[in-house]
Amino acid sequence: MEYDIIEKVSDLAASDLPLDSKLAEAAGILLEYFPFDQCLLYLEEEGALKLRAEANGKAFAVKVYAMGEGLPWHACETGAPVEAFKAPEAASWEGIEDNGLFGAGHALAVPLKGSGRVYGVIYFKSAERKPLSLPKRRMCRIAALQVVSLLRCAQLSSDHRRVYDELLQMQQKLVDSEKLLALGDMAATLAHEIRNPLLSIGAYAARLRRQLPPDSPGLKYLEQMSADIGRIERIMNGIIRFLKDNAVELKTEDLDSIADESLAIFSDEFLAHNIRVERLGAGQKLPVLADREQMKIAFDNLIANAIQSMENGGTLFVSTAFLGGFAVARLSDTGGGIDPRYLGYIFNPFFTTKKHGTGLGLPIASSIVMRHKGQLEAGNEGPGAVFTIKIPYAGARETASITPAS
Amino acid sequence: MKKRILVVDDEEGLRLLYKEELEDEGWEVELAASGEESLEKLERDSIDLVLLDIKMPGMDGVEVLRRVKEKWKELPVILCTAYPHYKHDFGTWASDAYITKSSDLTELKQTVKDILGKRP
Repeated sequence: MEYDIIEKVSDLAASDLPLDSKLAEAAGILLEYFPFDQCLLYLEEEGALKLRAEANGKAFAVKVYAMGEGLPWHACETGAPVEAFKAPEAASWEGIEDNGLFGAGHALAVPLKGSGRVYGVIYFKSAERKPLSLPKRRMCRIAALQVVSLLRCAQLSSDHRRVYDELLQMQQKLVDSEKLLALGDMAATLAHEIRNPLLSIGAYAARLRRQLPPDSPGLKYLEQMSADIGRIERIMNGIIRFLKDNAVELKTEDLDSIADESLAIFSDEFLAHNIRVERLGAGQKLPVLADREQMKIAFDNLIANAIQSMENGGTLFVSTAFLGGFAVARLSDTGGGIDPRYLGYIFNPFFTTKKHGTGLGLPIASSIVMRHKGQLEAGNEGPGAVFTIKIPYAGARETASITPAS
Repeated sequence: MKKRILVVDDEEGLRLLYKEELEDEGWEVELAASGEESLEKLERDSIDLVLLDIKMPGMDGVEVLRRVKEKWKELPVILCTAYPHYKHDFGTWASDAYITKSSDLTELKQTVKDILGKRP
């Protein structure tokens, strides 16, 4: 009998139940064994003791004890069991402030203590004073230790589950990127094989067009053919540009000025679409190891994307800053944002929601940023989408070499 | 005398296309189907400009370019390929011009004109 409780709580700790069910069962087991009317389990969370499980708790339970409040906190602070009685004839608990004691005549708070910290409290209460033998008192401490090991088991298994989930996610990413590589290989082969015959068809169509008399009805068919061939060619060029794993030539470059240069290229487009540009500079150079031309292509694609989302006007905010070891450029627009359903796909090649998009702008930007050991993140904010480029800051050496004279 | 262009491309359809288009422009055109054949022709004939495809089976365009520039330093070469990234390949820096293959031959013709002078 004495050891039953240890066995039961140990079994419980090893079971697959969720933590709250384990705690509820533990409270039940404890109440069965100890001669009280009520058993409550409080766990410390964010500086307060919160009621996580109860056995027969309806009568007098307090949900949350703020820091320092009541008998349970007292047990936590002293790290030892605290017991209190009220004489049956006394009207109130004198000297003890604990709303949970209302209606009770005997209370015992046992701290859940293990490896140097207190996890919470087992709080027993009963209406009348119950005799508690010495072995029971000793067993009470052992039971508390058992509950602590149950808590630690749960903690470990949730850590374990989190790490496992993270691993699964990473594995999925790897599988995705391998799929992309395979897809890329196939697309590259196709693009290369299609290109020459296409060139030949297109150029001969153009020759034919020049040789037909100006009033020939065939002229407009050939014009249509040429226009469509041109369209396929543009798509093929995009694919080839994307797939060619250009070795980036890294030099120390200023991300701040790269952003400015890219913005300057689009000034006519901004005017044409009534787009206001708000530029918040870093106020310093943002040295990064970058291939300037490539990085500009990444910015160009993001800016072009923003413009396409604001064809009837809007505002493009572009800020650059030094943040947490990264040179960061942030582009946000007021173009309505990205459908949350598609957020997970927008960096996949050939994914597009536009009528004439190739689905390569964002993947190109993303692959360039990745080749710079950086990150490109997309999200929605306010009235539009926001893209954030983070490139490792390469300024430490520069800063160190600045002489006092400057 | 008409200036003579050597077109080197492994695709017959494209060779004939370039020949017709460039002859329309008033140039004389010789054809070679491979890098090896182009070097033989260069030894034999007098050529004023080489229009060279990069991706060919056997000796590729970059190799032909290297050999041409070793032997005939002054002979202009236009590299012509589907892959824009060759622009960044140092092996192609020796070329006099670089054009990306396209069904629109305007750029090609203009580049030839720029190199050989306005009048054939």
